[in-house]
Amino acid sequence: MVEYRIDRHSGVATYVQIVQQTKQALRLGHLEPGDKLPTAREVVEATAINPNTVLKAYRELEREGLVEARRGLGTFVKRGLGTATADSPLPGELDTWVAKAREAGLDRDDVAALFTAVLEKHFLNQHSQGEPS
Amino acid sequence: MSAALTAPTRVHLTRWVVRLHRPALYLWTALILALAAALLWLAGPLADAAAEAWQRYNACADMGPCAYDQDAILRYKDYYEYATYAVLAVPFLVAAWSGASLIGREVENGTARLAWTQGLSPVRWLATKLALPALLVTVGTGALVALHRHAWVAGDGRIDTAKSWSDFATFYASGPVVVALALTGLVAGALIGLRRASSFGALGGGLCVTAFLWFGIHLLIPHLWSTVTKVTPMAHNVGPSGNGISVTQGVITATGARIADAHCTADTTAQCQAYYADLDAVSWFNDYHPAAHYWPLQWIATGILLAVTALLTVVTFRGLRRRTTTPEGAAV
Amino acid sequence: MTDTAIEADALAKRFGRLGRATWALRDCSFRLPAGRVCAVVGPNGAGKSTLLALAAGLTAPTGGTVTVLGTTPGAARARVGFVAQDKPLYPQLSIAETLRMGADLNPGHWDAAAAQRVVAGGDLDPKKRIRSLSGGQRTRVALALALGKRPELLLMDEPMADLDPLARHELMGVLMAQAAEHGTTIVMSSHVVAELEDSCDHLLLIGEGRVRLAGEIDELLEGHARVSAPAQSDLSPHTVIESRTTGRQVSALVRPVGTLRADWQGGTPSLEELVLSYLRNPEAPALTPAKSEEFSA
Repeated sequence: MVEYRIDRHSGVATYVQIVQQTKQALRLGHLEPGDKLPTAREVVEATAINPNTVLKAYRELEREGLVEARRGLGTFVKRGLGTATADSPLPGELDTWVAKAREAGLDRDDVAALFTAVLEKHFLNQHSQGEPS
Repeated sequence: MSAALTAPTRVHLTRWVVRLHRPALYLWTALILALAAALLWLAGPLADAAAEAWQRYNACADMGPCAYDQDAILRYKDYYEYATYAVLAVPFLVAAWSGASLIGREVENGTARLAWTQGLSPVRWLATKLALPALLVTVGTGALVALHRHAWVAGDGRIDTAKSWSDFATFYASGPVVVALALTGLVAGALIGLRRASSFGALGGGLCVTAFLWFGIHLLIPHLWSTVTKVTPMAHNVGPSGNGISVTQGVITATGARIADAHCTADTTAQCQAYYADLDAVSWFNDYHPAAHYWPLQWIATGILLAVTALLTVVTFRGLRRRTTTPEGAAV
Repeated sequence: MTDTAIEADALAKRFGRLGRATWALRDCSFRLPAGRVCAVVGPNGAGKSTLLALAAGLTAPTGGTVTVLGTTPGAARARVGFVAQDKPLYPQLSIAETLRMGADLNPGHWDAAAAQRVVAGGDLDPKKRIRSLSGGQRTRVALALALGKRPELLLMDEPMADLDPLARHELMGVLMAQAAEHGTTIVMSSHVVAELEDSCDHLLLIGEGRVRLAGEIDELLEGHARVSAPAQSDLSPHTVIESRTTGRQVSALVRPVGTLRADWQGGTPSLEELVLSYLRNPEAPALTPAKSEEFSA
């Protein structure tokens, strides 16, 4: 089950935050096909945001083919995202690399800057996923 | 509706009116019981003791020492007065409570608005708030009045200093007029309580309206029933006679003309005789209400006050309805 | 059930006698669809409380009409919940008694469990008397009373003013859950826009007794634009709400008519910017459904 955290000062629209966080959970394998998303009631009770915002986010996810709403049952994950799931070697490799960087004396900001630079190089001119075009 | 809804099917406001005004209910009950006990005591042991003292006093010869219980006579007289004024204070008490606590405080604190946004109309709320106290006020005041009458009857004819039925304090305290006035006070308090947003103002307003109406009915009462005229010849030299509530007194001249309020205030009888001779007066007259008029006067005055109360009630309800609801037909 | 929660037509309310009369609300027309969470925003004394009292059937209008859930406010009473600004409750009753009274006065539609849950969320002893509660605790009980009624329309006047941030978040969550589960229309007033921004999808902006903006928040925001253009630019035919010239630049908030020039840097305003611009400029033309032809053109 995902728990959404809404940051009202992030400048990112609330429904986009829900879309992004759902995708993040899909990428990390916290949500898998067949899993049920929390109901709008559960989300708004925890976050105090407007129910229509949650429904809008779920509609967006449905439009992208990631989830499907089943009448009277709830919204379920249809397919996962990306390949960086738990059984892939990639997370482990990144973990090893970060540990090495730390041993080499890099601090958090150094690592982040390095990582962002590499990202930019490989994914030139590509928007972050989840940001609506 | 789902099974989670576990509400009764009828509005139960009465029990909450009782719950919200529980201290007032206790106080009212205590007041009625205490006054009732005092009146019973007055009608029984106190009246008996005073009557016996008077009997002894009257049996005494004009001369020589006389052994009688003077304290018993004074005690009866004092306690009768206290009890009478206590009964007369009831309408004011009711008016003050109604204006300040029953309605005024609810309007002032906003709890009236809380009640008006539940599942019942403001009119229904006011009806319940007035009906229950009205019943208790009628029963309580009615009992006091009956007991006061009982205490008066116990002294009448047995105690020489007992008040006449026409003594106004006695007249009001032992008849239904005071019950009607208590109801008037209740409605007047509510009316002003709803109009003014301060409970203190409503308290004062309720008191003023009650006092004003009492004064008005007091001026009216002598004219509510046709009077009896008693004519006393001048020769008797005793002044106008006839006991009761007097309306007009004066003299009748030889030509049969009535001169009202022809009182002689001179120092000597001779001067007075000259004054009356000057007017050519042959007899005194007195238009008055004898004891037999007691009940007609009481009931007519009561009827008038109840009519005024009904009018005030209509004004109160219409005001509340106009204030809280869109006029019929105005809404789409 | 009707699809309109509240509809006002030329609604007006005057207080005081002739001569010294003041208009608390004037020529107020708007329509609130059912199922919305509506923020009634405006400075203190703008007429927010008067509007809510009119919709709750607590006071009669001086002019115009207001229709609530398809009928008069008086007839809708049983289906409408109301929480007044000062949260009036009977001080001599305990919390449990207050809720029992709610059950007795709302026959047929009392949700005891819902009321109980709201109170339980604040860790309150039900035997405690109302007079011994803090402002925030009173708000919680007042909300419990209103929610226990399971209203179709819930009107609240400054409901969050007395609450600490934690309770505010929790109770707003309870309200949103109510809206999600039962489709309850919620109307709440506040003079703090930020506190309502995430929870509301509809806006009613009131200033000096008149409706300045009414509609879906998303549509209102999309219907306005911030522009930054060279000074002396002709901003017509766009409706200018507010403009300020600094040096060689003019920055303005406009209601675009047609497309904006591409070289004017723009952007969608935030809700707070929009509200403040309208309040700072009382002369700016109002935007309400009745006057939205210009908007859809």
